[in-house]
Amino acid sequence: MPYKMLDKYPKKFRGTGIITPMWASLRRTFLSTIHRSMTIMYPYEKEWVPDNYRGRPGLIFDRCLGCGICVRACPTTCIELVEVADDDGNMVKRPQVNVGRCMMCGYCAEYCPVNAMTTTTDYELAEFSRKDLIYDPRRLAFEGTNEMMEVHLEEHLLSNLAKGVTDQPTAFYKTDRPVLEEKKCISCMKCSKVCPVEAIEMVVVGKNDKGRDIKHPKIDGEKCVSCENCVIACPKSALKIEEVL
Amino acid sequence: MVEERMNTDKMWITMGPQHPFSHGLWTLRVHADGEIITDAEPEIGYLHRGWEKECENRTYAKIIPMADRLCYSASMTWSHVFCKVAEEALDIEVPERAQYLRVIADEICRIQSHLMWLAAVGTDLGNLTVFLWALREREFFLDLNIRLCGQRLTTNYPRIGGVRNDMPYYFERDCMRCVERFETVGLPEIMKLATDSSPFVGRMQGIKYLTAKDVANWGVTGPAMRGCGVDYDVRRDDPYDAYGEIDFEVPVLNKNNPKGGDAYDRFLVRLEEMYQSCEIIRQAFQKLQSIPKEAPSRVKVPRCIPAGTHMAKIEDPRGESIMYLVSDGTEKPWRLKVRSPIFVNVSSSKHMVDGVRIADVPAIMAMIDMCLGETDR
Repeated sequence: MPYKMLDKYPKKFRGTGIITPMWASLRRTFLSTIHRSMTIMYPYEKEWVPDNYRGRPGLIFDRCLGCGICVRACPTTCIELVEVADDDGNMVKRPQVNVGRCMMCGYCAEYCPVNAMTTTTDYELAEFSRKDLIYDPRRLAFEGTNEMMEVHLEEHLLSNLAKGVTDQPTAFYKTDRPVLEEKKCISCMKCSKVCPVEAIEMVVVGKNDKGRDIKHPKIDGEKCVSCENCVIACPKSALKIEEVL
Repeated sequence: MVEERMNTDKMWITMGPQHPFSHGLWTLRVHADGEIITDAEPEIGYLHRGWEKECENRTYAKIIPMADRLCYSASMTWSHVFCKVAEEALDIEVPERAQYLRVIADEICRIQSHLMWLAAVGTDLGNLTVFLWALREREFFLDLNIRLCGQRLTTNYPRIGGVRNDMPYYFERDCMRCVERFETVGLPEIMKLATDSSPFVGRMQGIKYLTAKDVANWGVTGPAMRGCGVDYDVRRDDPYDAYGEIDFEVPVLNKNNPKGGDAYDRFLVRLEEMYQSCEIIRQAFQKLQSIPKEAPSRVKVPRCIPAGTHMAKIEDPRGESIMYLVSDGTEKPWRLKVRSPIFVNVSSSKHMVDGVRIADVPAIMAMIDMCLGETDR
């Protein structure tokens, strides 16, 4: 593969003084008088951006589980869960984003197990005060949300690739599940209370010396989204996430 | 060294941190004897953000968008080198499709970074039209970044074990249109203003010859080194990702010239690199056609990286960038050391400007393409 330009422009300068650059710039001047300029009249017309543009985060309220994966995935900790009333009036937990701190990395949309968090094409975020930059869950909704704005996490398992299976993309929220170390469990039921999808059921496994029931969590792998709320809530560190690779 | 010395009072002149020639915040204190520089002292640190320390409080996935912010115009290569050091530690082979996608994104990043440099050289040497036209061409490549990764500058595209997403529909068509237009219309038009213009070339020709031996001893890497005759490029000599399967030429000037290369040689090397990047993108797309679109582009990786020390290096647009990772087996790094090419290049600026006139300092320092974000980190 030869050089493309260095042979044409050898070390010694063989240009034409200032005639060529003057001709080049004059040519461009004439051309731009004929062709319309590319200027976008900004406030009146806006630049088109593709749908996969990473603007501020958006939220599809009804899909959200309130699991908090986005809170833990956020590199700048700009997301927090707040309690808001849903359409039926029940209080539910939904993410609230401090857009002033957001770095538009798109991790919340990427890691969301139900594609409730999305990226949006909204890039005009200027406000008069910092308080206005905090977007509550209802304000996060974006009008023109479509499928392209949902970022789908498609990871392949290394064990699958070793077997030659290349058509089964998966994600951590489909494979990783919490497992219980039974010796440590004290039957406090905190894990079943914090589970956002009610995947944990307390099952009686025996009786203790005082005749009370010993209950251990039983995790429903179908419902679980691997949000780690139970792992964090467990006072005795009896639960931990088992990663499938 | 210039022989004649004027018998005037010597004085220290501070160029920077706010000076037309300093790209970013840094100071070059020069000791001037009349107009001739006899000594110089670079001062950096205005942009220190504690980047390496901040990484120790973040999980590995969260460092990727931070690595984008090391350098605004080479964001893809910096997040790439971080992903590479994590993959090195985990001993993971990236899927083939992801390797080619990374190569394409890397080369788009290299072209737009070099165009940013060309714009800066234009203003440094008093050619404002080069600045405007180079930035105009750069917009086309930034638009490609939006299509591929979703953002213009902070791409956040590579992931540990692959890339964020596969390329969108019609990306190959758009990218090849852009590259072909750039090769045939865009860059030759800018070169008519730069390499064909005798006042512009005259500012660089014959300014400060640096020999290959000196440059290698100072640790200068990248195009500044290749223009002076050192034939070394990580992409070719230690191929990473899919670079081993791509046929391209590393531009080197003055290979056997004992005198070394002047500022103009270092200028030409970068222009040729842009053409070669276009060729790499074209070949990568040809190779990608043989890989089905459904092929995996990302593998699932464990959160914790096994304890140990690991190193990865890639060819940044500015030189050789290295990340050194010390892991203690948890999900956060124990230490992450960045070897920035510009930190080393700017350390040798004392020797680079020795004996030249003050008016030539912008021509010399522009050729190492300063980026202070990665230098101070």
